[in-house]
This record gives sequence, C-alpha cells and structure tokens, in this order.
Amino acid sequence: MRPAPPSGALLLRALLAAIPVFALSFGVVLVNRVEPRILGFPFLFCWIAAWVLLTPAFLWTIGRVEKRW
Amino acid sequence: MNGLAALTIVAIIVFGTIGFALIGVRRVKMNPEQYIVGGRSFGTIFLWVLQAGEIYTTFTFLGIAGFAYSQGAPALYVVSYGTIAYVIAYFLAPAVWKVGKENNLLTNADFFETRYKSRALGVGVAVLSFAMIVPYVTIQLSGLQILLRIAGYGAYDATAAVAVGFLVMASFVFTTGLRGTAWASVVKDILVLAAVLFAGIVIPVHFFGSPRALFDHVLALHPHMLTLPRGRAFHGTLWFASTVLLSALGFYVGPQTFNSVYSARSGDALRRNAIFLPFYQILASLMIFAGLSAMLINPGLTGPAVDQSFLLVVQRYFPPWVLGLVAGAGALAALVPASALLLAGASVITKNVAGDAFGLATSDRSRTLLTRIVVVVVALLALGIWMIAQKTVVELLLLYYNGITQFFPGVVAAFVWKRATAWGAGLGILAGVAVAVPLAALNVTPLGLNAGFIGLLANVVVLVAVSLATRRAPMSS
Repeated sequence: MRPAPPSGALLLRALLAAIPVFALSFGVVLVNRVEPRILGFPFLFCWIAAWVLLTPAFLWTIGRVEKRW
Repeated sequence: MNGLAALTIVAIIVFGTIGFALIGVRRVKMNPEQYIVGGRSFGTIFLWVLQAGEIYTTFTFLGIAGFAYSQGAPALYVVSYGTIAYVIAYFLAPAVWKVGKENNLLTNADFFETRYKSRALGVGVAVLSFAMIVPYVTIQLSGLQILLRIAGYGAYDATAAVAVGFLVMASFVFTTGLRGTAWASVVKDILVLAAVLFAGIVIPVHFFGSPRALFDHVLALHPHMLTLPRGRAFHGTLWFASTVLLSALGFYVGPQTFNSVYSARSGDALRRNAIFLPFYQILASLMIFAGLSAMLINPGLTGPAVDQSFLLVVQRYFPPWVLGLVAGAGALAALVPASALLLAGASVITKNVAGDAFGLATSDRSRTLLTRIVVVVVALLALGIWMIAQKTVVELLLLYYNGITQFFPGVVAAFVWKRATAWGAGLGILAGVAVAVPLAALNVTPLGLNAGFIGLLANVVVLVAVSLATRRAPMSS
C-alpha cells in the first residue's frame, strides 16, 4: 500500500483542477473571437483545443503533487 | 447495387467485431463479478478503450456534426464538457472504485445502498436506473436505423436489419458480459478513429484544399458562425458556460459508468485513464469540421435531418465502400454502447431488485444465469418500444439526460457530507427528476437556465433539508 497523499497540498490540487475547468467554461467569455487565427483556425477553436491538450498535463501534475507517480 | 455493397461492408464489420471479441474472451470462467464488472481486473489501456467505447455513441458523432451544421461554434460545448468531466472523474472515480472494491459492489444501486445503509434506497435507484436505460438503448436503435437507411441509399427500410443486428448484439452480451464489450470496443474505437479522421480532415481537404480555406469559406458566408453569440443570447457565452458545467456533472454518474469504474484494477488505473480520456475529445472537434464542411457542400437541411448532414455528403460524393466503412464504424458506435447499457440494465434488476428485494437468484451461478436472461429481456423490451413508438422515444430521452445528472449530488454527498441520509439522497433524486423532466419536456427555461440545472438545485435543497431532519442509519451491514 502506498502512503496517503499529503493533505497540505489541498489548495494547490484544487487550484490545478479549477484552472482548466474555468478555462473551458466561463473562460470562453474572454476569448470569444475569430482573430487572431492560428494555422487558419479561429481563436475560440484554438483556445478550446489547447485546453483539451493542457488538461491532461494539469491532471498529471495533481498526481505528482499527491505523490502517486 | 450501391446500397447492397455498402450494407455488406457494414454487416462484415459488425459480425467481424463480434467474432474478434468472442476470441478475446474465450476461456474466461463466468461468475457475476466477472460477467458484470470484468473481475475488477482492467488496466489503464483496456479501461480507456472500454470507456471511450461506451461513452461515444452514434449520436455523439452524428449529433456533433449536426449541431455544427446548424449552429457553428456552440457545438464546441461538447468538446469542453467532456474534458471537464474527466477532471471530475480524476477525483470521483477512484473514490467510487474504492467503495466498490471494499464491498464487492456490482451496480450503481449497490453504491447508494452501501454508503447510505438503506436497501430501500438501493432498490429505488435500481428501478430509476432501469427506467432511464431502456430509452437510452432505444435511441441507439434509432441511430442505427438512420445509418443503415443512408448506407442502403434509401432503397431499404432498415427496420428488420436493425432488429437482427441488435439481437445478435444482445446474444453476444449474453455470452461475454463486460469483457466482451471491452474487446468489441477495441475494434469500434479504431474504426471510429479512422471514420472521424476521414470526416474531419479528408472531407475539408478534398472539397476546400485545407482547414484554413474551410474556415475562410464559413467566414465569408456566415461571419457569426465561428464565435458564440454574446452574453445571455440563445447559445451565447453564458449558455455555453452553464451547460458545459452541468453536462460535465451528469457525464460520469450513468449506471453503465459505475460498471466500468468497478472494472478497474486499481484507483490509479482510473486516474491515469482520466488523464488520457481528454485526448478522445479531439475527435469530437474534428466532427465539428465535418459538420461545417457539410453545411457548405450540402446546405438546406433543417430539424432532425441535420444529424445526417455529413453522412449524406459521404453518400453523394464518395464510392459505396467508403460509405460502408463509415456507416460500419457508426453501427458499432450504436451497438457497443448499447451492449454496455443492456448489461447495466440487467445487472440492477438481477442484483438489486430480484436478489436484494426478493431474495431470488443469490448464488453466483444462478445470478449469472439470471443476469444473462434479463439481458435478453431488456433487449426485447427496448426493441419492442422502439418498434411501437419511434417518435416518442426522443421525448423519453429527456428522462435520461435530465434524470441521470440527478444522481450526482447523492454520489458526492456520500463522500463529503457525513450528515447526508438515505431519505435525503432518495427524496433529493426524486425531487430533481420531478422538476427537471417536466421542465425539459415543456421546453421551459426559467431565467435562461437549463432545466437539469433547476432540477439539481431542487435536488440539493431537498437532500440537505431532509438529511438535517432525519437521522443517519446506525453503522451495520
């Protein structure tokens, strides 16, 4: 059995989870634009695609903070 | 002739997948734990394949393309909410798995029964889950029918083919259980990946030269389609944010999701799984490109027909074998999730209603046998409802979409609020369903808020109030 994760990092874990959730929900209010287009894709589309790809990195970091891997 | 060629390819794909999965599960000794939750042995990769297999249905793909076809950027909400759902899953799924492992749980109703120490609550959750699963299976049949009709170039009424395909799938689940669904998901995920890459990349490049040119065309013709309407407007930014958050809550509490969560080998397998699942959402964004392309190539579809938009483009501009491969992938996207749903529906009836409430079939052997029989009964029931009432099925689905989210507060409270009681959780779910389903059926959206959201508010208020007024059952098992 692995030891229980340290509880002191609770705030950091909550923040790491909240950032992608916010970016993908209310965050769209800030980026609801076509320009600047990146590789031809509208900015709003790029924003969401970028956060889909970044979310795994945030979750992986939470696992690191919890000393799971 | 074209229709025959395409439909033959669909049939080869469906039967080939079943054959492949039967080879995958040979020599597994069946008991209820093996049959319903795969012996709690699935590692990260197999789990990823299974969950992607059962989450992404025909309607995910046709629906996203259709939404993009008619609305444009608001279709991005599917990409957003799925990703948020996996953030929730990272925390919730391992916690649910742990309770399941420690108490040998098989169903979502078992979870409620164990955490709230109430058999009555378990039976109630089982009955409600069953009532939601049957229409959800039925809608997969409607999806299959659309696919087969288009693959047959409109020359055949696909009803008989739908019935045959579905009953073959039901007998497959009868034989193999959840492990078979997971093996079938391997083929389904690969074929759907190919179909989506074709739809989202090959079609735009073939017709417009590049994704950039696709967006240039859309901007020139429909300048407002690539952004959301502002603020509180219909499908606006506030709609987007609230719908994304609400849908993410409902994403992981379906009865079939509990089975796949229990099937994990460890909590960390589920955590890694939550990390990898967002990548699947990239496929959903490709379907938006397919929908936008279809809008430029073949404009003018309205109403439910928009869901067929990209298939009609394939049918009109590509050879029959391409249509056959795409429709075959789509048929698996209907049948594989349906097999997981049949199993979840049968397991709550066998374990929680027949077993726990009436004391029937409690030995391992008789429980496996009864689950198998109920799989076939549920399949026949869903098929019967679909044949009698194809139109009202869509309305029944409101029960699923708005009802399923109502399980969320009870699941979360089981972990974070010691004071929550069985009465609170049970009446909360009932209040949520009683508020959300009629509002959704009448298409009422008070203050611009989603009906499911209002139901959730009612649910939480009742859960808290009733829990404070009742006493938690003393510890016992």
